[in-house]
Order: sequence, then C-alpha cells, then structure tokens
Amino acid sequence: MQGTHDIDDTTTANDGEGLDPREAARLLAKTERDAKRQFNLSPPWTAAFGGVVIVVAYGALWLSTRGQHPYGGPSLGVVALVYVAVIVAIAASVKVYRRATAGVSGPSMRQQQLEGVAILVSFILGSPVIQGAMKNYGASHAIVYGVVPAACPLIVVGTTVLGIAASKADWPRFAAALTIVTGGVVAAFVGPSGAWLAAGIALGAGVCVYAAATAKRVSPA
Amino acid sequence: MDTDTLDPVIHAPARLRIVVTLAALADGDSLSFTRLQDILELTPGNLITHLRKLEDAAYLTSETTGNGRASLTSITLTRKGRAALDTYTNTLRHLLGGL
Repeated sequence: MQGTHDIDDTTTANDGEGLDPREAARLLAKTERDAKRQFNLSPPWTAAFGGVVIVVAYGALWLSTRGQHPYGGPSLGVVALVYVAVIVAIAASVKVYRRATAGVSGPSMRQQQLEGVAILVSFILGSPVIQGAMKNYGASHAIVYGVVPAACPLIVVGTTVLGIAASKADWPRFAAALTIVTGGVVAAFVGPSGAWLAAGIALGAGVCVYAAATAKRVSPA
Repeated sequence: MDTDTLDPVIHAPARLRIVVTLAALADGDSLSFTRLQDILELTPGNLITHLRKLEDAAYLTSETTGNGRASLTSITLTRKGRAALDTYTNTLRHLLGGL
C-alpha cells in the first residue's frame, strides 16, 4: 500500500528486542506529540486565522462607526464584510473539527456535540433577544444596534463557555472565556463605537490566551 | 540497561505507537481502524497483527459494525491498557533516570 510501511511484518513475541529504552522514550514522546496534533481541535494556525478575522471584522466595524453623532451603525459594506468573515471563520472551524475528529467516536464526542449546541443556542438567542427587548422598551438606536450586538454575544457566549470550561477544569479555555466576558462587560459601558473596539480587543486577547495555552500543550516537553 | 522490566506487549515500536495514539483520546473514546492506519502509516495486515496482540492482553477492544465494504472497526484502549502504558512510561523514566 502506498504511503504505508511495515515496521516488522514478521511480528513475533520478541519484536521489542533491540529497542533501546532511549529510543523507546523518543518514539513515545514523538508519537504522543503527533497524536495530540492529529486530534487537536484548535491548531495554532486556526487561532492565527481567527485573530486576523477578528481584527478585520471588528476593526472595520469600529472604523465605520467611529465619530458618528448620532450613532447610525456600520455601513452595509462593512456589515457584508463581517458576515463574509464570520462565514469563512465558521467554515474553517468546521473543516478543522471534521479533520481532527474523523474516525473518533465515544462519550467525549457526544459531550462536545452537546457543548456545541449550547454555545450555538447562546450565540443565536443571546444578542437578538436582548436587542428585541431593548427595542420594545424604546432604547435608543445606539444601544439596540451598537452596544448590545457588540457586548452581548461576548457576555452570553463567553459565560456559556466559562461554565463548560469550569466543569471540565479546562483552565486555558476558562482564562480565554473570562477575558472575553470581561471585554464584553467593558464594551457595554464605552458607547456604541467604542463597544466594537473593546469587543475586538477582548476577542483577540481571548484567542491569543487560548492559542498560547494549546501551543504549549502540543509542543515538545 | 535492563529492558526486561518493560512490558513486552507494549515494548515494540508499532504497538507502542498504537497504544500512545489511542491514549491521546479521551477515556472511553474509540478510533476507527482506517484513521489509526492513516496516522501510523502501517499496512492493514501489520496493524491487525499488532492489534490482535494488544487485544489478547486485554489492552484494547475492537468492535466491528456493518457488513462488507460498509463495515467499520472501532478500537478502544481499555483501562487496563491505559494503566499498562502509565506503568511502561514510569518504568522507562526510571530506567533512563538510572543511567
């Protein structure tokens, strides 16, 4: 078979003979590292890509709304750019997830799927519900279309991830989620244009925190 | 260095790689035969031989679902297998530390 090789096709009970402990330790460490890379759901390049998407999307939103008095919201072009960036980021994440989890099944996969549903539900419902309620009670355009869509997803989705990370004692993820929630809280108090900037900085910082932690996990000891 | 203290079932390059790869999954998770083969770049025959040896030692279990071309074989590292790898790693560390 092309691309495959036999380590020793004539396997016997003594097929470990001649394997030096140092060599075994090297093989063990290398295999462990390779396996972690194979099953890694957040390889460093996705974090870098996510960081670029965040900078482009939130930077464009902030630049588009900076200095608006009264707040009119981002231009249609910027909104379209943000949607494209989000769709590309989601597509890349799905591709990485599928590659990492191909052929894997079991309890942790079911748990991950449930976590995914919880995050998706909080993302879909979090901001629109609060925006709708705010509009219903007569909140200003700047609040409904500026502060809430910038701050709420970070607070709502971030809190969901915070809970999941805490329940699994996943401290890098917890730290990243806490950074994002804190950024969301700050974004809620800095005005509609500043909210996009604060949200972008918080998301970027959260991605960096998580990328650094996961890179440390898969790097050689 | 005395390698007799190392578990002979694991102390073979292919089987060591199989056990370590499966141990990278969460406890109780399974990996398909084809994905394991892709990762380790072993021929099916060679992989089957080593898997059988590990299964005989109760270090892993395999389950096949479906028939013919649609069949899927999933391999799971057992608790005994995970414990054996831990012991193997500790023994190796001890051997190397004792240099």
